[in-house]
Order: sequence, then C-alpha cells, then structure tokens
Amino acid sequence: MKVAIGSDLKGYELKEHIKEYLNSLGYEIQDMTLEKELDFFDVTCKIAKAIQEKKVDRGIVIDEYGVGSFIVANKHKGIICANVFDEHSAKMTRRHNNSTMITIGSGIVGVRLAEKIAEIFLASEYDGGRHQIRVDMLNKLW
Amino acid sequence: MIISIGCDHIVTEIKNHLIDYLESKGHKVIDNGTYDKIRTHYPIYGKKTADKVASGEADLGITICGTGVGISTSANKVDGVRAALVGDVETARYAKENLNANIVAFGGRILGIGLIENIIDVFLGTEYKSTKENEKIIQKINSLNGHVGQVNDDDYFDEFLKKWDCGEYHD
Repeated sequence: MKVAIGSDLKGYELKEHIKEYLNSLGYEIQDMTLEKELDFFDVTCKIAKAIQEKKVDRGIVIDEYGVGSFIVANKHKGIICANVFDEHSAKMTRRHNNSTMITIGSGIVGVRLAEKIAEIFLASEYDGGRHQIRVDMLNKLW
Repeated sequence: MIISIGCDHIVTEIKNHLIDYLESKGHKVIDNGTYDKIRTHYPIYGKKTADKVASGEADLGITICGTGVGISTSANKVDGVRAALVGDVETARYAKENLNANIVAFGGRILGIGLIENIIDVFLGTEYKSTKENEKIIQKINSLNGHVGQVNDDDYFDEFLKKWDCGEYHD
C-alpha cells in the first residue's frame, strides 16, 4: 500500500514524527510536503489528486487543527476524508465510509494519539455491504 | 438565527435533544430528518441540511451521525458549504473565526452531550474575522467546485434507493 503524507508549517514536526513511525511499521511513505511556508490548501490538493489519479492508496494531512484540510480534501471528486482525533473514528471511517484520506490537527492531537490514529487508519479495512449505498451517494454528490 | 439540522438513524435522539436546546435559546430550527431510528443513509440528510445553508434559507447548519464523518463529508460536497468536523470546542471556534465554516459536525457516538452543547454555543457565538489571510484561504476553498443542488430535490438519490429496495446492497 502506498501512503502519501503531507503538512503545512504548523503540522511539520508531527508529520516528520508520524512519517518515521509509519516507516518503522513497514509502510512505504511518500512525503508530499511542499515548501514549509505553504498553507494546508496546496498540500491537501496535491495528496487528494494523487489519490484521484491512483498514484497512492491513502493520504494523511497534518495541519494545526485538521479541519481546514478536511474541508479542502472533501471538495475533491470521489475523495472521502475524515478529520480524526480518536482511535475509534480512525477505525470506523475505514470500515463504514471507505475513506482514503484523514487529517490530524497537530495543535489538538498529541503525539501518541496521532501515532495510533495513523496506524489504525492504515490497518483497517472497508466493510462494504450495506455501507456501499452511502459511498455511492457520496460519489454522486461530488 | 435559523439553524438547519440533520442526522442519520444512529443519533436521532441527540438531534431531537439539540432541537429543543436550540429552540430554548431562541433559534429557529429547520429539521431535515431523519425523524426515527429506521435504517437510512447519512448523505440524504447531509445534503438536505447543506442545501439549505448554501441557498441562504438557513444561517448555519449542524450535522450528526455516528462518527460525524459521513454526514459532514456529504455536506462538504455541496458547493458553498464549509462543514467543520470537530471533537472539541477550540477547533469549532477556529473553524468559524478563520474559515467562516457554515456547518458544524460531530459524532454522536464520539462526544458526550455536554461537550456537544458547548461546541454549538461557541460555534454559533463566534464571529468570522475577515483578515487578508482568512479571505485568501476561503477564496481558495471556494474555487474548488462542488455539487450545485436544488433545495428539496428529494429524488436525487433515487437510483441507489431503488437498488437498495431490490436487495442489491447486502452485508
């Protein structure tokens, strides 16, 4: 599985840490962080497009609150993204929403929790079945 | 204020509680459903809630499902909507003050009712700050296209609901 990660300036430090952590778990991580001064909009668009073009399978964006990148990612056709701040949501958004992206707020989520969120998100599978009608509806919307 | 609210069948009782809460504070609430605990699909209610915010019929919106992810994602796919999925008060404040978020969302199975009420109070009470930086990022978000919906186009998802009724989606 190919995983893209990226951050803005305020998420840079946590992004570096999560990248190393996921590397240690054996994931192939592609760092798509642009220059440090760029805002979360550009890096989120870059990762969302990489998923749309099937160049990567999953994306993780870290900015100070997570919520800005979350809005930007979901404005991309076919992208389902969750702003995650707990382990349960990290698991359920894979199982029920088939999300391919998550965002994490570096100012909100601590280092240990961020590690677990990223790890659980990448390890969890989509349930399919009855959940597919909702995913089909999301994909029709945009 | 006029608040557009929507939920899926997992958290109907929380939505009903919030309608009473909002009305007790003098707000007018548009309840987009769902209205019971019968299994249904969160994008229907995310879209309905978002369409009313995008059209200006409502000032702000609130969406709730199990984790908040599905219903807020559907709301964000509507053009002109900026839906903030939050787990704390501070993120809600930031989203309103800096991104001029017009919907707040959370998971009814993630947060307790005290925190949910606090989030809503702060989201509704925070004013957007129109700085050069904030305007720039909102303009960038608005430059991304989204679904342009008609309010109350209730047949929008019919093709999928017909397949559901025929048993084509099963566990």
